[in-house]
Amino acid sequence: MNAGPADTHSPHLDLEDLIAEAAGQPVAAQAREHLAHCADCRAEADRWNVVADGVRGVPAATPEAAQPGPPGRTRRPVMAGRWHRAVLAAGSAAAAVLLLVGIGEATGFVHVNLSPGAGTGIALTAVGGCDQLEEASGTLVQTSSGGLAIKTASGQQVTLTTTASTFAAMSGALLGDIRNGAPVRATGYSSDGTIEALIVATAPSGASLEQTHPSLPGGVTVQGTVTDAGAAGFTVVTSGGTRVPVTTSDYTTVTVLNVSPGQLQPGTVTVALGFSGANGTLSARAIVQPMIGVVLSPSGMQRHASVSISSKTAHDCSPVDLAAGELGAGG
Amino acid sequence: MNNPDRDTGGTTFTAGGGGACDADGLLRRIGRGDESAMAAFYREHGRVVLAQVLLVTGERALAEEITQDTMLAVWRGADSFRGESSVRSWVIAIARRQTRDRLRGRRLRLVDDTFLAEQPSSGPGPEATALDRAELAEVTNAIRELPASHREVLGLVFSSGLSLPEVAGVLEVPVGTVKSRLSAARAALSRILTEKGQSR
Repeated sequence: MNAGPADTHSPHLDLEDLIAEAAGQPVAAQAREHLAHCADCRAEADRWNVVADGVRGVPAATPEAAQPGPPGRTRRPVMAGRWHRAVLAAGSAAAAVLLLVGIGEATGFVHVNLSPGAGTGIALTAVGGCDQLEEASGTLVQTSSGGLAIKTASGQQVTLTTTASTFAAMSGALLGDIRNGAPVRATGYSSDGTIEALIVATAPSGASLEQTHPSLPGGVTVQGTVTDAGAAGFTVVTSGGTRVPVTTSDYTTVTVLNVSPGQLQPGTVTVALGFSGANGTLSARAIVQPMIGVVLSPSGMQRHASVSISSKTAHDCSPVDLAAGELGAGG
Repeated sequence: MNNPDRDTGGTTFTAGGGGACDADGLLRRIGRGDESAMAAFYREHGRVVLAQVLLVTGERALAEEITQDTMLAVWRGADSFRGESSVRSWVIAIARRQTRDRLRGRRLRLVDDTFLAEQPSSGPGPEATALDRAELAEVTNAIRELPASHREVLGLVFSSGLSLPEVAGVLEVPVGTVKSRLSAARAALSRILTEKGQSR
């Protein structure tokens, strides 16, 4: 406590005590006793409390939509933004994002990590660890002939050729693609027997879901078949016949595996892996519109995106093996 | 993702887990790549970091991005924690650096000591009256109008759960400077409230 300016014989609380009081931190018993009997200090403490309450109210008062920023502000695509909101709403899911983007290579997988500058100036980029495999990443566009191409960050366009065995997957706000009878894997947080899904993987009926799938620390995963699909969610019927209700929301990101390349969404960030063809084309073995962490900025693609190729033999990148292999998004 | 598929025949299970433990231990586990520790860390600090960054930037989407970048930095740099400050101070300081990096090149300045030094300290008087009369919503709105430097120090003190010495550590200034900045911020807030009161 310090002497107050008005009365040097009557000590008042110093700023540190007043701040501690307003911040809800421990205050010395002597200071608390003084506060109980000094009207001036109580008034001053009340003013700091007003300030403190106002500060704490700012996050809730800040609108969800960002205010228009000045030129040069990094903007991220809707997909990433939705994920950010999802992880913040879900708490520990954020850790999942970090782990998904931060973890290195795993045995049995070839990771293609998109780092700042990836694709810049070079339309096709060799994939580390796979001498023959190349990747193109950027925005999916339709060519004048109706085919698919990837427009890279540097503006180059890589035409994709596909075959019946080309694996394709897309992610985003694809709740309408969760259909009755389809295989499904839902990951989220469990509440009273219901899973609030943050991540859902599905595929056309009869197709496989044997793909990499992100984990969610503290979360739960259920796999089975979709039934009772609706706007608010669906029910998973497991192989043992257990029915698990799953709710979905704007924060749910859906990955649809094994779609036909024609179903991929133009204008979306896309990664294609395959082998160089004629005239700079890419004979795609896999085309993925990744699920999370894909970041676009004015300077192009940035980190937070990776795709993983699993093959029958670890790190075997031979064309035959890749053709038989699988590719999952987000891991 | 390098985690093996944890589904067990279609039954629901709980992954991760990780009980509460001391903050230092949590960081050590994060340093070893423990995912559940990272989740626990986020639960412990994520909301506070977001609130502080949001207070400074005033843009929710940007604040969320900075928060995620901060957590990514924690995941990658947990080993760099030396225990010389509290974990909360450490992560807030990381968030502050992330914020400064993201705001660099913009007109928004986090701290302008010259500006702060010119602000009169708060004391009893007409400006205190403005705080006495103000409604909470008015105060919150007025805080959003403060310069980022004022919002920052107010957030660190009242929203982050840091002590004044810890705030001083984050800002890399003496405790006395933190106090003077707090007083200046409150004075500026009072002026805004006074002006708004006069305009009504």
